[in-house]
Amino acid sequence: MAQVELVDVCKRFGATEVVHDANLSIDDNEFIVLVGPSGCGKSTILRMIAGLETISGGEIKINGRRVNEVMPKDRDVAMVFQNYALYPHMSVFENMAFSLRMARLGKDEIHRKVNKAADILELTPYLQRKPAALSGGQRQRVAMGRAIVRSPSVFLFDEPLSNLDAQLRTQMRMELKKMHLKMKTTTIYVTHDQIEAMTLADRIVILKDGMVQQVGTPVEVYEKPDNRFVAGFIGNPPTNLLPAVVSRGSDGDEISFCGVTFPVTLPAGCKDQDQVLAGIRPDSIKRDGALAALPEQWLIDGKVVVSEIVGSQSLLEFTMGEASVIAELEGRVPAAPGQTMKLGLNLENLLLFDPETEQAIR
Amino acid sequence: MKKTIVAMLVAMAAMLLLVVGPAQSKGHLSGQLEIFSWWAGDEGPALQALIDLYEKAHPNVEVVNATVTGGSGVNAKAVLKTRMLGGEPPDSFQVHAGQELIGTWVKADRMEDLTFLFKEQGWMEAFPEGLVELIGTDAGIWSVPVNIHRSNVIWYVPANLDKWGIKAPESWDDFFAVAPKIKEAGVVPLALAQNWTANHLWESVALASLGPDNWDALWTGKLAFDSPEGVKAWELFGKVLEFTNDDASSLSWQQATDMVVDGRAAFNVMGDWAAGYMSTTKKLAPGSGFGWAAAPGTGGEFMFLADSFGLPKGAPNRDNVVAWLALLGSKEGSDAFNPLKGSISARTDSDLSVYNDYAKSASADFGKDRIVGSLAHGVTANEGFMNDFASVMEMFLKSRNAEAAGKAAQQIAMKNGIGK
Amino acid sequence: MPNRDRIKAFLTLLPSMILIGVFVYGFIGNTFWLSLTDWGGVAALAENPVRNYAGLTNYKELFTGFLGGGFRQDLVNAVYYSVMLLAGAIGTGLIIAILLDNKPRGEAVFRTIFLYPMSLSFIVTGTIWRWLLAPQGGVNILPTYAGLKPLEFKWLSSTGAIFEFNWQNLLLIGLYIVAAVLIVAGLMAIKQDPPRALKRFLLPGIAIGLATWLFGDLLPKALFMEETHGFNLATIGIIMATIWQYSGYTMALYLAGFTGISQDLRDASMLDGATTAQYYRYIALPMLKPITISAVIILSHISLKMFDLIFAMTGPDNAETGHPALNMYLTTFRANDFAKGAAIAIILFLIAATFIIPYLISSYRQRSTR
Ligand SMILES: Nc1ncnc2c1ncn2[C@@H]1O[C@H](COP(=O)(O)OP(=O)(O)O)[C@@H](O)[C@H]1O
Ligand SMILES: [Mg+2]
Repeated sequence: MAQVELVDVCKRFGATEVVHDANLSIDDNEFIVLVGPSGCGKSTILRMIAGLETISGGEIKINGRRVNEVMPKDRDVAMVFQNYALYPHMSVFENMAFSLRMARLGKDEIHRKVNKAADILELTPYLQRKPAALSGGQRQRVAMGRAIVRSPSVFLFDEPLSNLDAQLRTQMRMELKKMHLKMKTTTIYVTHDQIEAMTLADRIVILKDGMVQQVGTPVEVYEKPDNRFVAGFIGNPPTNLLPAVVSRGSDGDEISFCGVTFPVTLPAGCKDQDQVLAGIRPDSIKRDGALAALPEQWLIDGKVVVSEIVGSQSLLEFTMGEASVIAELEGRVPAAPGQTMKLGLNLENLLLFDPETEQAIR
Repeated sequence: MKKTIVAMLVAMAAMLLLVVGPAQSKGHLSGQLEIFSWWAGDEGPALQALIDLYEKAHPNVEVVNATVTGGSGVNAKAVLKTRMLGGEPPDSFQVHAGQELIGTWVKADRMEDLTFLFKEQGWMEAFPEGLVELIGTDAGIWSVPVNIHRSNVIWYVPANLDKWGIKAPESWDDFFAVAPKIKEAGVVPLALAQNWTANHLWESVALASLGPDNWDALWTGKLAFDSPEGVKAWELFGKVLEFTNDDASSLSWQQATDMVVDGRAAFNVMGDWAAGYMSTTKKLAPGSGFGWAAAPGTGGEFMFLADSFGLPKGAPNRDNVVAWLALLGSKEGSDAFNPLKGSISARTDSDLSVYNDYAKSASADFGKDRIVGSLAHGVTANEGFMNDFASVMEMFLKSRNAEAAGKAAQQIAMKNGIGK
Repeated sequence: MPNRDRIKAFLTLLPSMILIGVFVYGFIGNTFWLSLTDWGGVAALAENPVRNYAGLTNYKELFTGFLGGGFRQDLVNAVYYSVMLLAGAIGTGLIIAILLDNKPRGEAVFRTIFLYPMSLSFIVTGTIWRWLLAPQGGVNILPTYAGLKPLEFKWLSSTGAIFEFNWQNLLLIGLYIVAAVLIVAGLMAIKQDPPRALKRFLLPGIAIGLATWLFGDLLPKALFMEETHGFNLATIGIIMATIWQYSGYTMALYLAGFTGISQDLRDASMLDGATTAQYYRYIALPMLKPITISAVIILSHISLKMFDLIFAMTGPDNAETGHPALNMYLTTFRANDFAKGAAIAIILFLIAATFIIPYLISSYRQRSTR
């Protein structure tokens, strides 16, 4: 049970700074997910928290105590690695017992703890096997077991599911979630997969090039992305970003893109005749029955480029005027390329970004 | 392939002989002559002088100088044995004259009798009688000695002896009289080097203890090593060892000689190649820079060893070898070789003017002294005995038990058929 | 189809099988045959030497004969050489490898420096170390640089010996060793499988030990006279030179192994609370067991073939530092005792086999269970 705090944390490898002034405050019992494209510094941050990487600037506190100079083993954290890092010459039991042996626990206690963890993770039948004789999912569970036997106050996960196949990944994701609900240990979880982030996190931290872009709950970062990058990174398919011009008149605000002008309510940050980027989530595009709920002026014609049916939803790419737009529509939509379709845009969820600074206009 | 060519050459040479007749001169020899030896380093130039002479006389013969270095001949002997066993003998090879040759090669019937050559060249008179006896057997004479070295020499630096107020000892009792005094002064009375030099010292001590007649009797099997006389020799040797340096086994013989030259030791018993080392390498003048005498108790006795070459049966170029051997035994040949090698000629008529002072004195002794053979250098005993004797020596160096050493020596003498 | 493949594979292997059969196993067989003859003595080098079958006479003489004392000491030396070389070279190489694995500054330079002695021939090494270990030079004068008195130890010519034992009691000692090994093995296995450990190891071990202690006097003497052998102090210099030459090699083996271990494993062990020493003790070294095994096999073979180094350092006739390989050479090519030389060769061959055969069996078993 612990809080973790990052204050202006930097990391330099030689002359290159790969993490810039990261600030983050993690509450007790929280499940935090660091997400971002590969190479953005997620692992580096995690490893600094674990103590496997020195901290070039700023400080990291666990439970209010500065840990920059504290040895990894004394930080009371446990980590699960992407490739599991199991000790190949030890049995599953020995792998899980290793940290307890290093802590000089008694034999009986070690047995009790390992057996309990094995029980939770359904590893009991495999305790005497070597890692080489286990499946990917089983290895993953051993790696987790190795972390939980120590009952640390912080769990660190570095892309723990990315070596599993899609199905197993979904399953393990659920189990992780359940485990957290049960144990409530503060967890910092690194992934490049935004779906994992959205499903697991209490709060998401989005990183790009070593810089924190936004911190918020999954709903917050989805609905109110702070900048163009977050809007593009969170949500699949990504947000449509269309060049647009806004106008504020006496008879109401308007925005024009795709050769069409739409009446909307603009946020305070917009000035008349500003060039902006209009962000429209694919699921804000409607058709058929859903059109009735939208004002007349928000309807627009789209010409189908391609269509894909994904389960109960359909993904379609349209051209609207000059622009190309991706829509995520309810139901299995039969559509032939070239066909024109009547669509509606739910502009209540319209996102606006400054094309220069890429920041959200609010 | 090579062999058939050689065989054809021999056949052609034989036909030539038939055509030209026995009167053909030496200049007509052709083909190859392979000389196998371990003379590469310091001895290289001496061997080369002989080869030059040979090539001048027989310009059509290609001389192949096959040397195998290392281990003072141990390696060369191993290579030679593999070649001989493989049926590929060299034309002529270096070997210590005496039992080392006889025990290994003559008993195995691999050598040709050279009596004809000795008679033809008049060597029966030119070499001392005792020598010819030691290098031959009842059945023949087996090699031509190219040089004579003396084993029983004690070396010192006269200036140092003057400083310490002592004289070169004439007997071991003389030595024991002065040795404690020198030892107290922090000087090693007698410098000794690694294992084989202990054998070398032993033979001088044993000769002194036994006298030349009993020494010879040891090797004819008439006197046992574990007889009271034999054991007494070991006892004396043990006493002498007490005045040697205790790091001996890690020194080369040159380093032991250095101890004498540097004044860290008073004396050293070593063969007369030490004279060459001191005059050539250490630049000391014979007589004044370094001095010598017969090893204590062996005055009037000349314990010799000799390098020699023989004619193996089946040598590919027999005629070339015979010419080579004739050159080795000739006055011209031996006087070209020995001054460079630092040894003396086996001939009694050599031209002393080309030799240095030490060699002159050694030559004089060789002419008049009682000649006995060396054990450590292969004259008196076969290789089997010499090899086993090294173990007996090691045993004695460790245990200093004269009785046991005498017994052991007798055992190996019987095992190796000494005197048979 | 698989049958055709098999025939093809067989035909491809056939030439090398024949060559190895003749030139390795044929010659080993021939050497063994020679060791059972009496080939030696005066006519050994005759064109068609007489070789009579002599049974195990040569072996008997070597182990119990009056003149075999030198060989017996050589054998004892060889054992000590092996043990010391293994411990020394593996230990030193391991320590250097661990130091370098922690990436000190100039690691590459150090690696080259430590590996360099490997590239020297034994003759060069021997010559260098003979100088270094000379009584008044090299190592012995080192302390004088610190203002201390020079060492007096005679690295290559000391006649002292420790751990001496009487060859007569060889059987007795052998039985004690067997008992000790059994008891130790039993104690090691007792945690996992107590009844088996007790039955298979502990009880027999204690029984043999006790019986030897009680009735040891009744055992036949291995030799008719008292003959002590021990660890000759003069061999320390040679062992040092060999370790110097080969620890770079074990270092390279281990370093390659360490580098091959994923950084994640090291990180994981640190998070698990292991210190650096514990990481090497519990994680890295056990993972490199195959490397340790091959190092042990290679080094023990080197120590059994040691020849040139001893030849260069202390010469051919130095009983203090002798070795069976050297003895074999001198017995064969100097004493012309070809049969006895062959017997020594076969003994060396058998000792080497005791190292390699268990290894072959275990790796063969591993492969077939996989
Ligand atoms: N040991 C290192 N030395 C130099 N650069 C490194 C090192 N480790 C990581 N980096 C760099 O730091 C950046 C962030 O790496 P990392 O944290 O592993 O990214 P990811 O977000 O994919 O986990 C990358 O550009 C990577 O190349
Ligand atoms: Mg990463």
